[in-house]
Amino acid sequence: MAQNENTQNTYLTFRLGTEIFAASIDKAVSIIEVPEIIKVPRSPSYMKGIINVRGTVMPVIDARMKFGMKPIEIKKRTVIVTFRVDIEGENVDVGALVDEPGAVIQIKKEQIMNRPDIGSKYKSELIVGAFTHNEQFIMLVDIDKVFTLDELTEINDSKEEHSLEEHIEAESHK
Amino acid sequence: MEDFRNKFKEEANDLINALENSVLRLESAPHDEDLINEVFRIMHSLKGGGAMFGFVKISEFTHNLENIYDEIRNGKKQTNIELVNATFESVDHLRNLLRDEIDASIEQKHIELSKRIEKLVTDNTENQSFDEYQDMILNGDNGAKAVPKAGYYIYFKPNADIFDNGTNPLFLIDDIRALGNTKIFTHLEKIPTFGKFDFSVSYTYWEILLETKESVLEINDIFMFVEDECTLEIKKIGDWDLVSNEKYIEAITKKYSSDKFDYQELKSLAHTIFKPKETEKHQEKKVSEKIQKFAQESEITSIRIATEKIDQYMNLVSELVTAQAALKMYAMKTKETELLAISETIENVTEQIRDNALSISLIPVENTVTRFRRLVRDLSVGVKKDIEFITEGTDTRIDKTLLQIITDPLMHIIRNSIDHGIELPSERVKAGKPEQGKIILRAYYSGSNVHIDVEDDGKGVDIEKVQKKAIERGLIANDVHLTKEDALKIIFMPGFSTAERVTDISGRGVGMDVLKRKIADVRGDIEIKSEKGQGTRITLKLPLTLSIIDGLLVTIGPSLFVVPLTSVSRIKELKIKDITSKYQNILVMDGEQIPFYFLRDELQIGGEYPEEVKFIIVKYENTRVGIIFDTVIGEYQAVLKPLGKLYRKHDIITGASILGDGSVALVLDTNKIIKKFSSKEIV
Repeated sequence: MAQNENTQNTYLTFRLGTEIFAASIDKAVSIIEVPEIIKVPRSPSYMKGIINVRGTVMPVIDARMKFGMKPIEIKKRTVIVTFRVDIEGENVDVGALVDEPGAVIQIKKEQIMNRPDIGSKYKSELIVGAFTHNEQFIMLVDIDKVFTLDELTEINDSKEEHSLEEHIEAESHK
Repeated sequence: MEDFRNKFKEEANDLINALENSVLRLESAPHDEDLINEVFRIMHSLKGGGAMFGFVKISEFTHNLENIYDEIRNGKKQTNIELVNATFESVDHLRNLLRDEIDASIEQKHIELSKRIEKLVTDNTENQSFDEYQDMILNGDNGAKAVPKAGYYIYFKPNADIFDNGTNPLFLIDDIRALGNTKIFTHLEKIPTFGKFDFSVSYTYWEILLETKESVLEINDIFMFVEDECTLEIKKIGDWDLVSNEKYIEAITKKYSSDKFDYQELKSLAHTIFKPKETEKHQEKKVSEKIQKFAQESEITSIRIATEKIDQYMNLVSELVTAQAALKMYAMKTKETELLAISETIENVTEQIRDNALSISLIPVENTVTRFRRLVRDLSVGVKKDIEFITEGTDTRIDKTLLQIITDPLMHIIRNSIDHGIELPSERVKAGKPEQGKIILRAYYSGSNVHIDVEDDGKGVDIEKVQKKAIERGLIANDVHLTKEDALKIIFMPGFSTAERVTDISGRGVGMDVLKRKIADVRGDIEIKSEKGQGTRITLKLPLTLSIIDGLLVTIGPSLFVVPLTSVSRIKELKIKDITSKYQNILVMDGEQIPFYFLRDELQIGGEYPEEVKFIIVKYENTRVGIIFDTVIGEYQAVLKPLGKLYRKHDIITGASILGDGSVALVLDTNKIIKKFSSKEIV
């Protein structure tokens, strides 16, 4: 990629609940249908299990739970976005369950705002910025951080947030 | 750059291992041209690579060695014991030089060894000229045949007063001899009888046939300072190996007269014996031989592939196997003959690809055996025993990681054989055995396993000693009398070691129990057979690869699990109500108390066990534990896939395996389960 394009980055968007998120396209590998997920006993609830992706075994996480939302329900539009992330200096392929895949968009650097003040609703340390695209507010996530081991070991599922999310979910599906 | 350096290190390590191997063989076959060539090539590669990647010391160090071996391969030098020894030490030293930090002791060794090798460069030259001298006298031949040579006739008659300025004509003759093969006719006819003999006068003159690759100028140079004090003729006879040809020498010897040879006659004789046609052919052949040899040397017989790529390839292959299985199922459903035929072809090819992929990921046992050869050589000298180390089937291939893991246990077994197995030469003779002991390392396939035997013809296991020790250590009761089989089993029990004293070699507290555990960790088994006074054989039974497990496919609810077959000791069908009523989860079976546990609850799978359950008894060391599953589907060869970093805390699950229909089964590490269970800290 040429140097002068450096000011413009490409992102993949996806929906979690009612929010739209974006991750750097460099990290994304593919978008796949949800196959049978084999649960690995005694693992944190947001670690959904493992799947068979073209002969390799890949762990899958529930991206909504990761952001402190209510667990994902697998519906028609639910997909797994597979990412190649850096875990302790090693490239690891992992999958994230998201409610709906979005689009590949290009955003100029100056369009990106600092991390929005979203209070305690989402795990704000995973969000590195935000921007508006086609009048849609999109939050930019640091996908490496989403899968960092330390992050994965701590589970923080507050009941109130769930009910709030449930409410929103119920609203949006009416 | 750092990347390249690491690559070089990796490569250099391989080279050094190959070097060690070659030198070991060179020791018993010092004139083997192929070996000498190989040693030279390795030195050459090390030198070049070392210089390129900043390992200056390696480059400097190998330079002299390379030169020595170059001269040997050109027939200018010969291998000798000191050289082989120095090369051995160099192997160790080169390994040290590859390290990033070079400490003072290595520095010291570097200087010392460099000096020794430098000395060899010069020392050997003298030796060699002596050798050549002998060669000439004995058969007038030497090994340097590959270079095109010419035959010369030299007539050298010193003037009578040549001694006056201190010239010794014999030195000049020696100089000529140094140029190549010679046939020397010394004319002593002119020496007067004793009374008339004048010490200050030279009476002798020489006629010499010289076969050399040097030019006339070179020969002339020898006589540079005596040109005015002698009669000298140097004439070329032709481009033939005159001196090496017995027929020619015989023919001209007949022509020998008290005066001198007729040059024309020498020449025509040569022409009749060496027909030009033949010479040409001969040389053509030589050239083609050379080209062939060069081609052989530069032929690339292997390439290096990153293990990562092989893993990737293996993944793709297992994906192919899965897809092929799906295709086969579909084809059988449609019953279309054409599709069935295609499916069959694909099945065939897939199988071959799978076998091929597997063989690529395996490396020959030989890779580690070289180290043992060295070990036996060094250690047997240390304990004053004469031991021959024989290897068989070292081209048997095994998983690389596995080979690394078993290298230590194997080394330990061999050390035991050297130290405790093989007797001192005097004892052997007393026992009616040959002085030289034997240790045989034998690798071979057995089903889907690789077996490695270490066999010695030493004194064998002394059952009475074992019995005594076992009582001493409290492993058995005083009045128990051990059978041979039991005694051999006890050797593997923790806290047992028959070594009477701690020696340099073995008896470091690492007993056979540790070996057994290590082998069990890689799903292998260890067996011992021994006959008192005849020897011991220890057999390691290993899986071909760590990535393929012979397992038992079982279920709990919807979950599929694979239990490694090596750890399964029994399967029993039981009623769940008979088990749940057991006190403290212990079942008595054949008089043995077997603790068991409900994997369903431990893994929080949920649901209830069916009425009839499968009670699988798994073993690890001497512990047996029962695990309860819903059903047993059958035997299954599982390709093991790691779960990756995110699941690394799951130590009771080794990995996952993708079944033929694409579903995924979790592979259980029964050893860990047992360990956790027996120490009451299950998961």
